[in-house]
Amino acid sequence: MVRRLPEYLTIWVPLLLSAAHLVSFSLWTIWISFTPSTLVPVSGWVGLRNYTSVLASRNWQIAFDNLLLFGSAFVLLSLVTGLILAILLDQRIRGENVLRSIFLYPLAVSFVVTGTVWSWLLNPGIGIQKLVHDFGWTSFRFDWLIDRDMAIWTIVIAAIWQSSGFAMALFLAGLRSVDADLIKAAQIDGAGPVRMYRRVILPTLWPITITVIVIQLQFAISTFDLVRALTNGGPGIATQLPALVVYDLMFQRNLLGRGAAAAVLMLLILLAVLLPYAAWRYLQRRRVRHA
Amino acid sequence: MPMITRRRLLAGSAAALALPAFARAQSAIKPRLTAISQWSAGSDGAAITALGKKFEEKGGVWQHSPVPGFTTEMMNKLRAQIMAGDPPACSQLKGPEIAAWSKIAPTVNLDELVAAAGYEKFVAPDLAKLHKPGGKWIALPLQIYSTNMLFLSKRAMDKAKADKIPVTWADFNGLAEKMKAGGVAYPIANGGTRPDDGQKFEAALAGISPAAYRAAIMNLDKKALEGPEVRAAFVQVRKIADWMDPNVGAQHFSTNLKRFVDGDMGMMIMGGWAQGVLRNAGFKFEDFMIAPGPSDNGKSVFLLNADAFIFWQRKEPDLQAGQALMAQLVMDPAIQTMYSQITGSIPVRTDVDLSGEGWSDGQRRTAAALKDAIASNQAVLSVAHNMAQENGLTAALIDVITEYVKNKTIKPEQAVTRLAEAVESAR
Repeated sequence: MVRRLPEYLTIWVPLLLSAAHLVSFSLWTIWISFTPSTLVPVSGWVGLRNYTSVLASRNWQIAFDNLLLFGSAFVLLSLVTGLILAILLDQRIRGENVLRSIFLYPLAVSFVVTGTVWSWLLNPGIGIQKLVHDFGWTSFRFDWLIDRDMAIWTIVIAAIWQSSGFAMALFLAGLRSVDADLIKAAQIDGAGPVRMYRRVILPTLWPITITVIVIQLQFAISTFDLVRALTNGGPGIATQLPALVVYDLMFQRNLLGRGAAAAVLMLLILLAVLLPYAAWRYLQRRRVRHA
Repeated sequence: MPMITRRRLLAGSAAALALPAFARAQSAIKPRLTAISQWSAGSDGAAITALGKKFEEKGGVWQHSPVPGFTTEMMNKLRAQIMAGDPPACSQLKGPEIAAWSKIAPTVNLDELVAAAGYEKFVAPDLAKLHKPGGKWIALPLQIYSTNMLFLSKRAMDKAKADKIPVTWADFNGLAEKMKAGGVAYPIANGGTRPDDGQKFEAALAGISPAAYRAAIMNLDKKALEGPEVRAAFVQVRKIADWMDPNVGAQHFSTNLKRFVDGDMGMMIMGGWAQGVLRNAGFKFEDFMIAPGPSDNGKSVFLLNADAFIFWQRKEPDLQAGQALMAQLVMDPAIQTMYSQITGSIPVRTDVDLSGEGWSDGQRRTAAALKDAIASNQAVLSVAHNMAQENGLTAALIDVITEYVKNKTIKPEQAVTRLAEAVESAR
């Protein structure tokens, strides 16, 4: 016990400290969300008033709709892109290491950089549209960044560029860990490559798929810096996201109580994703134990 | 921490509050000032550093901690310090936020210092009111910008074969049409940020009717908010929006300056600070003209934006002496001249003579416009730059305006209703 003390200390002290931080600040935020705090935290009780006013605000409604659209489109498309990249890389091609690094590289770039670079690329006056026009195709249009109905898709594009490499890396690891005997058996039975992927390899990947979905979803819910740099919620307020609303309420409008309420709503959305995942993990483990 | 005896405390308070005693106390205590602001770089940083030098020349200890970035970052630092019970002796803060923040921590009563300097009669009345919530001076304005200056591109004027500076909105619209016909791609140069859009609206409404602006935006009078002038302002804003480059996205106005000077864009409604930005970008005074924003009654309308310092109560005698010294410096015409000449703003004092060296024509015209506007009661507070309302209400108003600018399917009538609703729900 004494001999292992340093090990216990290294693991448990930071773990307890961060858990205590997380829990105490979450509880504190929940408390603030029920107070009339504006510039600074004050005590007092306003019941659900902060929540009703956040839920009734146009900003939050737009942010919530955007989150549904952005969250599902981003998760689905980054999943598909990542899977396709992984399957292509899995063909034992030359230069795999180089390609893998290239696809993973965006992950190392900060979201602010991604957002800023894409804000120039997607700007119709100076970016891709301008380039194509200069090549002579003058009727070409790609102005989603300034189109309030399509602007949310520019965030999807940038987010996919940033993080499909991450999905690819996980899928690639999954593909590589498929039992070689299984593949040989399928080959002997005469399965072609398409059938092999569909029937033999992909079904073994679904635990990884769920992990990727959950990780990407919680990223989507907390997206802040990317939107801030790319559209800053615009045109107008068309690309608001919940994290932007929280920051705006707390620090720009000096409405701490309402900002805290919006933050708690975000936490609830996050729990709606994480709790089913935890339940699923629990059931999985039980099934394995029973089998 | 130095021991603070009651006697020293009394001496310090006396030094800070009673000006006649100030000179005597100064020899006993070395004035010290802790200050925070967001001004760290560029002309803003240079100006406050110069102010610090003056403070040191007067025998003070200058301890300025800049918090670079957005104003909100500076406010977060201020909030943290106040909550920890350790506010700076003085900090940057402006507009109605002075009143809001003064409720969360005790501030210094500067009445005697202001009276001794005979300062109040040289300050625009609406501006003075912001710095004395509850009737007492607790903050001092430092410099003034107008947010509705009209910048005209010389080359675009040549293309339009025009040489007259527009006075009313009708003149303005006529000139924009002429520019369009003369081959100027976008008669209006504009960024895509929230204050940018807000400035177009406030310039429109105040230019149409300063009285309606005062009632609707500054006093939030329901009838005025739903009145015909606000509707007319939204109609004007739509015209302006139609003349802007839709491709700006969320970019800063400075992105367009080259196209503006080249004559691809014609006019820019922007704060006086754009002069400094244009000059820093290497453009010459011959490239553009500066005039007060359009006003339908022909008299200057001035949308005020002013930076200020608020003074937080401290017990330390040296800090109190520092606060008194700082207040005197900020009110001093020579210091205001020095500061504005560095940043490109105009002095708060209306009695400073701008005819001499070191001032630009734009600054002279701005100062003249302010004087005229005060005389005709047409100096009003900018909403786009957080002078007319507290941040929360401002943001609610700008939400409506920025959406209207970017979404051309919203009718002016709808915008009027939404603006009134936004006020109602943000209150």
